[in-house]
Amino acid sequence: MVTHEAFLTKLFNAWFGGLGNQLLGMFGLKADNPAEPWADFMVMQILVVVLLILLFAILRSRLSVDKPGTMQHIFELIHNFIAGEAEGQVGHDAHKHTLMFEALFIFLLACNLIGLIPGFVSPTQVIYVPVGCALIAFLYFNIEGMKKQGVGKYLAHFAGPIWWMAPLMIPIEIIGTLARPLSLSVRLFANMYAGEQVTMVFLSMTYLVIPAMFMGLHVFVSLLQAYIFTLLTMIYVAGAVEEAH
Amino acid sequence: MTKISKFFFMALALMFLAAPMFAQGPGGAAAAGGNVWVPVTAGFAMAIASGLCALAQGKAVAGAAEGIARNPGAFPAIRFALIFGLALIESLALYVLVIIFVKVV
Repeated sequence: MVTHEAFLTKLFNAWFGGLGNQLLGMFGLKADNPAEPWADFMVMQILVVVLLILLFAILRSRLSVDKPGTMQHIFELIHNFIAGEAEGQVGHDAHKHTLMFEALFIFLLACNLIGLIPGFVSPTQVIYVPVGCALIAFLYFNIEGMKKQGVGKYLAHFAGPIWWMAPLMIPIEIIGTLARPLSLSVRLFANMYAGEQVTMVFLSMTYLVIPAMFMGLHVFVSLLQAYIFTLLTMIYVAGAVEEAH
Repeated sequence: MTKISKFFFMALALMFLAAPMFAQGPGGAAAAGGNVWVPVTAGFAMAIASGLCALAQGKAVAGAAEGIARNPGAFPAIRFALIFGLALIESLALYVLVIIFVKVV
């Protein structure tokens, strides 16, 4: 039984209920409750994407070389930060991948932070959204590795440097590689969910200052977790794309 | 009395204070439809995971602080390694939390 926490979800279900059921029907799925096909996290994700597109549209109209405004400074900071980290990790090909890293970082940051506004829910508090982002990162670094080194050579690196240890190395490497999206998704989900639960626990005890302190901690944890997700994706891409020595 | 035996008897007295817990046994099993020890195990598991995570993070921060003290010029590199290491150690304790949420109704 899903309890609606967001007024936006109620609006979506009222206006777009039929569209939601049709979209689910296209994949052969049925909603648990046909009157409410839109889940909280779906609506919040769409809201985050729409807000980000609006933000970047406004930014685009205010870009200027001679007199950069405040927004341009802020986004140049973010871009230089991510591009600098990517250069440090991936090396000389970093500019090809910076787009994906920056998209992941800004999307995850916005998703994590939107939960702090009363009336909105973080999409990353439901396991499905971090798993989706982790699967995208997983597919991305594998496909980039295969594009850079060729499918055969990329798969051959699972065998390790010494050829006669391959029967031992291959299962270990495969499990290690499969553990990457698992750890990425669980780390992000657990941090966000635990942050909300801890705030709820303290809110049930007192309305005064203490829950606000935990929400402040949640801001810091949101930033850190979005950064860690992006950084680990960079490290995995670097590992997949590096030339063999 | 020596210090150790004082400490021992104090701990024993505190444990006897927890005796009312046994009165709750059968009710808990009937309500959960399963083992009554699942919530207790969950509490112990989370406590052990958090304690070990705290020890590991303490070692990480100690190493980082000493590194910065020895070589203040390397501060950016050490800060990066510190934040990265802390986040990965934190995630190990959070895996236990996820298991608790999955297994404890």
